[in-house]
Amino acid sequence: METGIKIIEGSCKGCVNCIKSCPTEALRVVDGRVRILSDLCIDCGECLRTCREKALGLDEDDWDLIRSHGPTTLMADPTFCAQFSHYWTPGLVRKALASLNLKDLFDETAKAFDLAAFATARQIEEASKESLPLISIYCPAVVRLIQVRFPELLHRLVETETPLETGTLLWRKETGSDEGVILVTPCSAKVMLVRGPVGREKSTMGHVVSVKRLARDLLAAGPKVDGAGLEPVGSRWLAWALRGGESRHIKAFSKKNITTMAVSGLRNTIDLLQDLELGRLKGVDFVECRVCDLGCIGGIGNAESRFLSELRLSRQPIEWAVTERERAVLSDLYETGIWKLEQPIQPRPRPSLADTLDEAMKKLKTMQAVYAELPHIDCGACGRPSCMALAEDVVRGEGEITDCVFKLRERISVLGEEITALSGKLPHAFHERKHTK
Amino acid sequence: MDSHYEVEFTVRGDDFLAAGEASNQIKETLIMLGVPSPISRRASIITYEAEMNLVIHSGGGSLRAVITPEKLTIQATDRGPGIPDLHLAMREGFSTAPDRVREMGFGAGMGLPNIKRNSDSLEIESEVGKGTTLTATIFFHEGPVDRR
Repeated sequence: METGIKIIEGSCKGCVNCIKSCPTEALRVVDGRVRILSDLCIDCGECLRTCREKALGLDEDDWDLIRSHGPTTLMADPTFCAQFSHYWTPGLVRKALASLNLKDLFDETAKAFDLAAFATARQIEEASKESLPLISIYCPAVVRLIQVRFPELLHRLVETETPLETGTLLWRKETGSDEGVILVTPCSAKVMLVRGPVGREKSTMGHVVSVKRLARDLLAAGPKVDGAGLEPVGSRWLAWALRGGESRHIKAFSKKNITTMAVSGLRNTIDLLQDLELGRLKGVDFVECRVCDLGCIGGIGNAESRFLSELRLSRQPIEWAVTERERAVLSDLYETGIWKLEQPIQPRPRPSLADTLDEAMKKLKTMQAVYAELPHIDCGACGRPSCMALAEDVVRGEGEITDCVFKLRERISVLGEEITALSGKLPHAFHERKHTK
Repeated sequence: MDSHYEVEFTVRGDDFLAAGEASNQIKETLIMLGVPSPISRRASIITYEAEMNLVIHSGGGSLRAVITPEKLTIQATDRGPGIPDLHLAMREGFSTAPDRVREMGFGAGMGLPNIKRNSDSLEIESEVGKGTTLTATIFFHEGPVDRR
């Protein structure tokens, strides 16, 4: 299985700073090199934030190579429009991109985000009381977290495809084009929308580059654009870059008053999902979780400070009132089902210890015995995030108990005592010779 | 023959903050053992409800899970007040939880019915003033858990 994170071989110093940051314990540092257990990785990008050596990066495509192949069409994440102080509306960003011969899909994007909000509002309205709250699928790291750690909540995920994919599909439908589309991503999680999407076989976007990479190009070129002759571009979709934006958008399309909850940050997300799993969120209709602080603008792949992005987005004029015409167009699109996930989202349980229950029980017992021997301080020096993780690696045959520095020292000390004892047992003849010399 | 795996947790009465921990650990164990997800989901409902009953009603007790190749047994034991009318306690919506517990969103009278619905067999031995032992079993029908 792939992840949205790339290991830059040679840069890793084996410092083990990253392993503790991982919420699913998916990192190991063995023989001084970091390794990702892709079965467990949710692509949240926390490890990228903690790595000082830049040995972990976004697994993006080579932007220069893509550009050298001619005309380029971009599906930009909403955060992209919050990166610049001088191109501060989608209309201006469009002009700036056009001057670099880059084509945006802002109109299709705006429509796709409207459609996603519309479709989700419908699902909330039609859901039975017990199946509420529904959960947003917009943050792919949250979807993976639920697949790995909260499979009981999978049935609560909305069936709405990410509007970034739907926007591309709408554009293909309208133009009939099969030209490559490049996703501009703010994070490692959305890299996977292209590389290994959940809920569909294959993405219709062919490549992925980071917001940071593209923003750097645009800033370096620094095209001068003014507000003359700007076409109006919908702006509700920009709100999704901030925590709570999706919920606000859904409310704009809801016929009745709905209660929503929006949290950002990995820890907040896990806490909220735990509350939900324990049935504590009665009366809530929709839950929006984003693993990055403040929402997608906090993603590791952005160029701009998330605080400045927030400021800029909060100043965007957004028209929330929906016209009858808009509603009619969306209603027609809704009927086509283009907004819908292709496949149900499956759980991704962590691999069991063995193939048969009998064997697994034996291994689990051994694992507990190994764990009992360890110091239980989770120091990380063995390259595993916890003593329990080392015990698990040992029974899976992916580590030795002497990877633990405390166990190693114990063994050395025992060995040292044996050597001392042995050295006292020197043959008599040897002592004699020493004296006569 | 005697191949089995066992975990046991002490559950403290009225400790609503820690509630759910024992059932969570049992769930993790089942996942490590590769028990298929539909079974571990049922098991986690049973353990959670049983754990909540210990927290709410009994003043604390123990929660035990025993896994053999044929079945999973979950046992909750306490020395609490006991259940005077078992028939009534099994009815949906019947609850003796105090108001302060209900205010926290628990004690809706669904605990025992939920346990019954999710287990293949359920035995409850209870004596007023002495305590209660609940034993729920799930059989691995399709033969001992074989995956992939």
